[in-house]
Formats: sequence, structure tokens, C-alpha cells
Amino acid sequence: MKKVRNMSFAAVTSVIVVSGALIITSMAQAKPPRSETQIAQERAALMTAVAKGDDLWHSAKLGNNGLACANCHPDGSATNVHTWPKFQTNLGKVGTLREMINWCIAVPMQGRILEYDSEEMIAMEAYATFTHRGVAIAPAKDEQHGAVPVKSGPGYPRH
Amino acid sequence: MKKISRRQFLGMTTKAGAATVFAGIFAPSASSMLGLGGVAEAATKKIKPFTFAVLTDAHLYDIADHKFDHILEKAVSDVNSIKPRPDFVLYAGDLGQSGKKDELIKGKKILDKLKMPYKIIPGEHDYYLDMGQAWRGLFGDEHWSFNHNGVHFIGMNSILVPDFWTLKGLTPKERMGMMEELECHNCGAWGVGEKQLDWLARDVRNVSPDTPVIIMTHSPLWDYYPRWNFQTYDAPQIRETLRKFDKVIAIHGHVHQVVYNEIDNIRSCGLLSTSWPWPYPPVELEYSHIKQRRADPGDFEDGLGGHDIALNADFDAIVHWREFSDLLPDNIKKGLKV
Ligand SMILES: [Fe+2]
Ligand SMILES: [Fe+2]
Repeated sequence: MKKVRNMSFAAVTSVIVVSGALIITSMAQAKPPRSETQIAQERAALMTAVAKGDDLWHSAKLGNNGLACANCHPDGSATNVHTWPKFQTNLGKVGTLREMINWCIAVPMQGRILEYDSEEMIAMEAYATFTHRGVAIAPAKDEQHGAVPVKSGPGYPRH
Repeated sequence: MKKISRRQFLGMTTKAGAATVFAGIFAPSASSMLGLGGVAEAATKKIKPFTFAVLTDAHLYDIADHKFDHILEKAVSDVNSIKPRPDFVLYAGDLGQSGKKDELIKGKKILDKLKMPYKIIPGEHDYYLDMGQAWRGLFGDEHWSFNHNGVHFIGMNSILVPDFWTLKGLTPKERMGMMEELECHNCGAWGVGEKQLDWLARDVRNVSPDTPVIIMTHSPLWDYYPRWNFQTYDAPQIRETLRKFDKVIAIHGHVHQVVYNEIDNIRSCGLLSTSWPWPYPPVELEYSHIKQRRADPGDFEDGLGGHDIALNADFDAIVHWREFSDLLPDNIKKGLKV
């Protein structure tokens, strides 16, 4: 949890540590609600990350044998983003989607793994998650899930 | 099968326009081949029982010693080991990954190790770098038909999309790159196109309705999941042309998975790849019990394999997915009666 210290929590008014666990509480705040513009900007920032993730997802550059994530996971399908963290046999432990992404890069794609908090990794996670928008969280559900069907295009505006 | 005769075999496909007969050069031995009498025999509904094999979707890269090379090699030796020996092999497209000539040359080298002749159609991954030029140079016509032991076989190129590249000013490599994506955002739906529809109509015009027909295309002849081109846009016209036949078996690549459907008089089977399995798309399947289980991504052969299809005298077929590992449910482990 050492990263927490470096982050700025504008809305957080108190941070209490109780028996080792970090609990963040938020108290009534005087701030005005976020403006439409602000919300639109934040949404656009997410979609930029999703689009970047889409490009990486379909790029052979992450691997060394020509394969891209999309070879086996078109539209981010079969990533089962709604089931993580869970015990994953290939990881041999309870792991996260990011760990599985790195496993896929390292093993089937024979590439170099990404830093877990790198812009690239966050973009990949954003893409995979966005393709499953609306799917109910189902920890460890042992059933492959397709991406949310969209008629054409990536299901979001590309620039 | 000497090199020269294989070349002839591949070269002489549809030149005559209608059903071409391959006796002599096509069959490994003259006795296994009753093709000369194909259509006439079929009129009395007699097939001389035989087996053929099918391979598809190797997606070979222009990278030496690639894992997919070894998987295709394995599938080829597996087919060579089938007893009784299949009369021939069909290949349903996507031999290469990026349409490069070197990928296709590598693929042909491996397929030439088959102990029986083979017939092949293109997939989108073979095609969109040079619009099929290298492929045609190596394998001949993109559509063909022949008769074998009383069965009329048809192969067609189902991956033709309307031009999306000229207006955008895309390079051949960019065009191929887009087509390489299953969920391509700009490529549109594909099909066989007018010319092949006309050819098909002419090809079957004089084939009697009780003739057993087997058709191979890269993509399914039904709307499975159009977003991934698990479809052929002019499949309705193809089905209409084939509607007169008592029974048609359709086999297709592209889906990289076990899948089955029946539509009109057509029984349709999706085939295993020798590269990677695609996940099942988010649609309800009518024959949902005919599916493979999900593959382990740590086992590079999981969910992959080849096929043999055995035909008896009454055109009952046993379609056998020869999956390398054990991902088939019990109901289709030993094959599916189609
Ligand atoms: Fe394929
Ligand atoms: Fe394909």
C-alpha cells in the first residue's frame, strides 16, 4: 500500500488504519457537484485509454512471435474480466486480470511483460473491461464470457 | 503423388466451368476413384464408401520455427496415420497469417507432406496483401468442383469484401492488417460475390437432386456471428441454389471451433484450427451440445486438430473432430453422425 501515500485524495477527509487494514472515510463535503464539462472530460480520458488499449490489444508488438492478444481474444472476449481476482491454474494462485495479461504476454506471445501500473497495462485493462460493460461481477465464475455484442465499430468513438 | 501430378491437379480445377472430373490424376490409386461416373452413380444414390480428411486455419507466420508450423506438421502426420487412408484432404483456408508469399510457400511445403492429394480454398488471411495473387500462383483456382465416388464436392472463396481501401488510400499492408482483425471495424461483411454465384448455378445445373453434395467455404453459410464474419453475406443465395438437393453437407473453417447447425437441407460443421481456438461468440446456439470445452491457454495444442469424414453408401457422414487434447464432450468424441 506504499503508493497510497503519494496520491492526492481531494475528497478524503480522514484516513484511519484499523488493525492493519486501511479504511478511507469520506465526510460531507462543501464542494459543488462536478460540472457537465468535467464529467465529459473524464469520460473522454477513459475512452482515450480504452482506444489505446484497443490498439495494444491488436498489436503484435507486445509479443515476439507475431501473436497479439486479439488472436485469441477478439473484442476482449474470453478474458472474463468480471471474474477476477480468482485462482488461475496457469498463475498457480489467486491472481488479477493484470497478472493474467502479463502471463499471456510472457507465455503464448513470448513477449516482455508490462509494469503493472504502466500506462499500457492500465489501457489494456480499460479496453478489456470496457468490452464487458454491464456484465455482472461474478467472482471465479467458470464460464467463458463473450464481449458485449455491438453491431459495428468498436462500440465507442475512435478518433 | 508426384509433384507434377499434384500441380496438374491443382491447376485444372474449374477451367471447364462445370463439374470437373479428376480420375487418374486425382486419386492415389485408380481403384479408389469412381469419379468418372460421379453424377450418373449419384442418380441411383450410390456412394462407394470412403473417407476424406480436412485441415484448416494454420495461420503460419513468416517466422522460422514458429509453434504453428509444428502444429500443422503434427496435423499432417496425424492425417497420414488415419486408417483406412483418406482418399484426399480438403483445406478450408487461412493457411497463412498476413498473406505473405513466404507464409504460403511454407504452408504448401508442409501440406505437400500429405500422402494423398489435397484441394484448398483461400481464407482472408491468405488473401488481402496481394488480393490472392500469391495464393493463386501456388494453388490455382479459388473455386472448384469435382466428383468423387458419387459425391459432388464444391469449394468456393467466401471471403470477398467490397473495396474499403481505395477511398481511404490504404496500402496493401494496411488493408491486410485490418482484415487480420477478426472484429475489423472497417472491412464489412464478406461473401462469394456475383461471379461465383453464377458459377455455382452453372456448376450444379445438371447435377441431379439426389446427388450427395459437400460444399466447403472458409466461413459458415449461415449467420452465426456476423461481427466476426462468422457468416457469408450471400449464403442465402448459395442455399437457394443448393436447395434442390436432398442433402448437402457444408464444412467451413474460420471459426476455429466445433460448431454445428442445420439450415434448410444443409448440415453445417465448423472445423478446428491448427493455430488457436476462438472463443464462442455471445449468441445462443441451437445445437449447443455440439461444442468443444474451453481450452487451457498454457497448452498450445489445446482445442486444435484435424478432421476425418467417413461417408457410407447412403450419404450418412461421420464427422470426426480429431482434437489433439481431450476437449470434446462424450457425445461427439467418436464423431457426429451428420
Ligand atoms: Fe482463421
Ligand atoms: Fe478466417
